[in-house]
Amino acid sequence: MTTELPADIQSSSSEIQTDKPSSNWLPPGLALQKVDERIMTLNVGPQHPGSGHMRLIVQIDGDYIVACDPDPGYVHRGEEKMAEYRNYITNIPHLERPVIHDSCNMLYPYVLGVEELLGIEVPERAKYVRVIAAELNRCIYIMYWLAIYGIFLGHSTMFMWPTGDRELLIDLMEKMTGARVTHSHFIPGGVRNDLPANFEEVCLRQVNYFEKRIKEYAAVFYDNPILISRTQNTGVLSRQDAIRLGVTGSVLRASGIDFDVRKKEPYDVYDELDIQSIVMTEGDAYARSKIPWLDMMDSCNIIRQALQKMPKSGSVRVKLKPNPKGKGLDTVYKRVESGRGSLGCYIVSDGKPEPYRLKLSVPSFRNLIALPYLLKGEKLGNMPSVYWSLNYWPVEADR
Amino acid sequence: MGTATGIIRALNSGIKHLAIKRFTLRYPEEKLKFVGDGYQFDPSTGVGIAGLKGRHMLFHDKCTGCQLCSIACEGVAEAIAMVKVPEEHKHNKKAIMPQIDYGKCVFCGLCVDACPFYALYMTNDYELSTFSKEGLIYTPAQLQVKPYVAQDSEIIITDRGASHG
Repeated sequence: MTTELPADIQSSSSEIQTDKPSSNWLPPGLALQKVDERIMTLNVGPQHPGSGHMRLIVQIDGDYIVACDPDPGYVHRGEEKMAEYRNYITNIPHLERPVIHDSCNMLYPYVLGVEELLGIEVPERAKYVRVIAAELNRCIYIMYWLAIYGIFLGHSTMFMWPTGDRELLIDLMEKMTGARVTHSHFIPGGVRNDLPANFEEVCLRQVNYFEKRIKEYAAVFYDNPILISRTQNTGVLSRQDAIRLGVTGSVLRASGIDFDVRKKEPYDVYDELDIQSIVMTEGDAYARSKIPWLDMMDSCNIIRQALQKMPKSGSVRVKLKPNPKGKGLDTVYKRVESGRGSLGCYIVSDGKPEPYRLKLSVPSFRNLIALPYLLKGEKLGNMPSVYWSLNYWPVEADR
Repeated sequence: MGTATGIIRALNSGIKHLAIKRFTLRYPEEKLKFVGDGYQFDPSTGVGIAGLKGRHMLFHDKCTGCQLCSIACEGVAEAIAMVKVPEEHKHNKKAIMPQIDYGKCVFCGLCVDACPFYALYMTNDYELSTFSKEGLIYTPAQLQVKPYVAQDSEIIITDRGASHG
């Protein structure tokens, strides 16, 4: 399914200039040359806690940012190359590592792709278990993201509360998968283990309480005039620019484009569940920070629906042959909606137990592209709020 | 909403938290309770049994020394090595059993999925820290020991908030 481009996109102005690669290319940082006495070049990172092992090279004129050059790549792990030397099952533990808080969603496109390559039919119950695990993981990721967003803005209460309330869901994932993070739960053919006894009841109770708790964040954070004054009309990404730059996830939905992979290209049982994809039109840092929070309430709703509709018994895993192989030359591309946006996995198989090539198309890297355009003309003090509102995860972007 | 009202509402929301229960686990004194006895796998149905993926437990009377766990770990962590054991078993002619290096293990549990003889399970023991790297290498004899775990704290949700009871 393709998304139709709105008519106003075709006639949009060329305010975004793409830098043409010049013959005398310089590494990032050196490329930003001193043009004026007033302009100072500032390195934010790679050790800066606000940057998360990535460097932002910022040029400032007084308190205002003139130019920004993000320099990712400090946590490159070679995930894609590693995948070529491991078979379809042993790829699982390392492919979920880029975002350990969102490990089920990180693994989801890979597992869906391998299932299509190997021609595996997944049991109905396993699909529901996966949806529950993926939605719980999305909430865990967003809570962590929200905690960091709070501490970036100097709001330590917003760091403590999400970190504590996240424990409710981590406890559920621990009961379900046996690990607090990096669950290795999804496997081609279903999930690793069935739900423990009494899980539905515990899950419903904790998710209901969790939803009640996150609604309390409105008074302390989202309706807080200090947050609003710091984030509203900061780093505005217009509708046209959002499409031109190819951003995804909450950043795209904050700019007024209704695109959610769960809704547009439903995978597993998402077509049977009622999903609201929340859209805001402001496109500023406030809208980008509010959408994940509203997404969490939507996720709680999805979990409740899935628990209700889930078949009460049945298999959750198809038995696989040892060293499963693809059928000759074949390619597959699958994408899911992760906590940060659409996450794709492209697998090429040449009939061997290992993938010939595996490519992860990650939302973090796409959202980072917008950063230089958003920061131009902003105050330096607003940089953390704009940077983290992009839902950027350095490890995922570097892969 | 005015600025002053908003700030008062935010402060009020924080002050309310003085009255609700503290959501903190006092870790060494209290420990979280897990479901079951750790992650296990049933080869006949091909489905795992939910539980914590902690330190492994090896049943010497069932292990045949087939090395399937070691092969499963090859692309993941290479934490499992097959070593000679002094004891003689009829079904284990080579007398080799897995030795696990917890400095490398990622606790994914794929070795448990690979074992067709119900010989390797995981337990609720997660406190493995030692003073040396060698202390993290568990020999078959150490893996045989069933860990002692006293974990009883659970999340309790009441009207006054959630707490670890």
